[in-house]
Amino acid sequence: MSPSVCLQEMIRVIRGARTQGEERGVIQRECAAIRAQFRQADSGGRSHNLAKLLYVHMLGYPAHFGQMECVRLIASSKYSEKRIGYLGAMMLLDEKQDASLLITNSIKNDLSHSSQHVQSLALCTLACMGSAEMCRDLAPEIERLLKASNSYIKKKAALCAVHIVRKIPELGEMFTPSAHSLLSEKNHGVLHGAVILITELCERNPDNLKQFRKSVPELVQIMKNLVTSGYSPEHNVAGISDPFLQVRILRLLRILGRNNDAASDAMNDLLAQVATNTDSSKTAGSAVLYETVLTIMDIRSESGLRVLAVNILGRFLLNNDRNIRYISMTSLQKIVQTDHTAVQRHRGTIVDCLKDQDASVKRRALELSLALVSAANIRSMMKELLLFLSTCPPELRSHAASGIFNAAERYAPSQRWHIDTILHVLVTAGGDVRDETVPNLIQLITAASELHCYTVHKLYRALISDIVQQSLVQVACWCIGEYGDLLLKGECEEITPMQVTEDDVLDALETVLQSHMSTPTSRGFALTAIMKLSTRITNNVDRIRSVVSIYGSCIDVELQQRAVEYNALFKKYDHMRYFTMSYCTVILEFGCRSRLSLVLGGRGLKAEHVSIIFDCKDNVYLYWFLLQSVQLQMKAPSGDLIPAQGCGTVTQTVLLSYTNKANLKMRVRLSYSSQGTACQDMVQIDSFPSPAWS
Amino acid sequence: MMRFLLLFSRQGKLRLQKWFLPMTEREKKKIIRDMTTMVLARKPRTCNFLHWRDLKIVYKRYASLYFCCGLEDQDNELLALEVLHRYVELLDKYFGSVCELDIIFNFEKAYFILDEFLMGGEIQETSKQSIAKSIEASDMLQETMEEYMSKPAF
Repeated sequence: MSPSVCLQEMIRVIRGARTQGEERGVIQRECAAIRAQFRQADSGGRSHNLAKLLYVHMLGYPAHFGQMECVRLIASSKYSEKRIGYLGAMMLLDEKQDASLLITNSIKNDLSHSSQHVQSLALCTLACMGSAEMCRDLAPEIERLLKASNSYIKKKAALCAVHIVRKIPELGEMFTPSAHSLLSEKNHGVLHGAVILITELCERNPDNLKQFRKSVPELVQIMKNLVTSGYSPEHNVAGISDPFLQVRILRLLRILGRNNDAASDAMNDLLAQVATNTDSSKTAGSAVLYETVLTIMDIRSESGLRVLAVNILGRFLLNNDRNIRYISMTSLQKIVQTDHTAVQRHRGTIVDCLKDQDASVKRRALELSLALVSAANIRSMMKELLLFLSTCPPELRSHAASGIFNAAERYAPSQRWHIDTILHVLVTAGGDVRDETVPNLIQLITAASELHCYTVHKLYRALISDIVQQSLVQVACWCIGEYGDLLLKGECEEITPMQVTEDDVLDALETVLQSHMSTPTSRGFALTAIMKLSTRITNNVDRIRSVVSIYGSCIDVELQQRAVEYNALFKKYDHMRYFTMSYCTVILEFGCRSRLSLVLGGRGLKAEHVSIIFDCKDNVYLYWFLLQSVQLQMKAPSGDLIPAQGCGTVTQTVLLSYTNKANLKMRVRLSYSSQGTACQDMVQIDSFPSPAWS
Repeated sequence: MMRFLLLFSRQGKLRLQKWFLPMTEREKKKIIRDMTTMVLARKPRTCNFLHWRDLKIVYKRYASLYFCCGLEDQDNELLALEVLHRYVELLDKYFGSVCELDIIFNFEKAYFILDEFLMGGEIQETSKQSIAKSIEASDMLQETMEEYMSKPAF
């Protein structure tokens, strides 16, 4: 067995390895040597070997065979061995390992050791990886140490107690009396530990909360001393006296003052004093101010104090330090609902933060801006938000787009503004909007009947300039199909007139059909729109007919099916074509009659172009024109003819692929004409039998 | 409380890891991977705070090392920056102008110093001098008092 090198030499050798393989080789050799050393009963360099193993562990290699060595070293009487043994225990053992229980006894003994440094090791290890059993076992020891010993041990015992309370909250009552008396200590370390212990006790148990509320005056006094004391070199950080302790006390005060008028009153003056006097030019001061603001907003403070707090946050927004701006916005986000007016005063600064370089700051500014949108400021805010959308980082686009849609829906000052806004979003970020945007927009457009002319003109212009954004393309195609006649008429009050010929419109739609960039859904929309135009134009019906027949042999099955059906409309049912295509504005779900199982998916069914032409006297032909917001797979119908007088049935199965089964309802409506009169029939199916799903 | 503290280089090599909550090796590896990826991807002059799962991540770069810690919801991020800074000051005082190599070759000392400063995810001592004195005393104990320690204490 080669003599093992010392720790630093081994580290040098490992770092000198030029490849991963070479490093692995070195480490394997070293580990083998270390293992052999561990097996020897008495070895001089035991602590060195464990240290080497810990280094190897940090590089990511397995080191579990060192666990027992940790146990042995902890039990050693040499301080150096104990020290590394405990470190090893903290790194290699956790409460899930069986070996961790073996060190309980050593810890117990070391807690009573004559040397405070040994006691410290035991306390530290217990607070780091003590399991529930170990904690239960050793809690009385910790309690004793809280009372008896020097500050060095007391402060560590306090944090050990915190760990115990976190593991086993019921043991908290053991520490309550000591925690209280520790508040009169002068040593900052002990005070700090005591405050944390009390915080933990109060968070776990409301009875403790009541008891420790009595300590509010004492805590206030400690804070006052810190804030008004002169320069203390030991605890000073950038002009603030012990900001760590100040922040912890403020946090405890927050918990004690919450929902309690008396406690909140008792701390009111102090909070005002800290808020006014703390110098926030450096991070330490800002940290204290930040905690103060959080406390003020969370307790029952007077309104003057609250305003002071919001103003501090407003000042933070103007700070050069990005961290402070970020913090400020996080806090403003928390209070924007409860203190809306106060936060509105800082809207300008918040909107400016949308232009910040930092993505985290931008994100916060976006959330806050969306929360601040109101009926009064919708127009100016939307300008800023749309500007933001055009330059924002890609990960924020989707959130921004949906936020804008929500805001537009809630506060739109006019329908035209609403439509314009949505169009703007689609042009800028159409790829990042959710799927239901298209049917939602269609519904909106349908409802704004006075704006049909304006809308179709705008959409047509958008379509001819760019067909990349699929959601925009789909809406545009639908709109052109629906209101193509208004487009062709040429006049529109609200938009500069533009002469559009039938050829122009058909060119635009055919471009969509043929482009590589168009998705199958978009193509479907375009084809349907072309078809619908056959009833709205006069000169180019042949052109439409030829387009439709070409697509009858398209590779895309959906498109092909549509084309074939449209073709049939042209050929056999020309007389009904007008009738069929005219009814496309109505939102219909699929009609079914007894044997037909149609599935139309889910909520917000916006399947347009439904037509089942069911003629009592003649035959029934099924024409399915579906919006592809749901994944639908249509199998061929068993026939395309239902004989008259109810002498037969037609079955067409449609397979629906839909994720949220609970939402699925099926409403079936049949519209047909019988002897020249339009009729309708409806059936609703609210639940599906479970075997229907697979 | 702080959930973990990690030190890693600009190449993503881990130099120190302290876990204040029990976690499986697998979870630890995942966190290390995520932290290094997220933090190393940050551009300069961005803020030092991130969000990851339900934790607030605070990181700061000192020379070639990134100091990164994970905090819970109620913890004060600005104060965490001060905590990281304090730790760097302690290392600096101990090693005299500390650099990454010091932490590589003397990692166990870096841990000992950390264990005098933080415990159970909380600060245990707010005075720099106090911590420096305890470390000095422990080191002395390690070197000079070994014979004295060979008598069992109980």
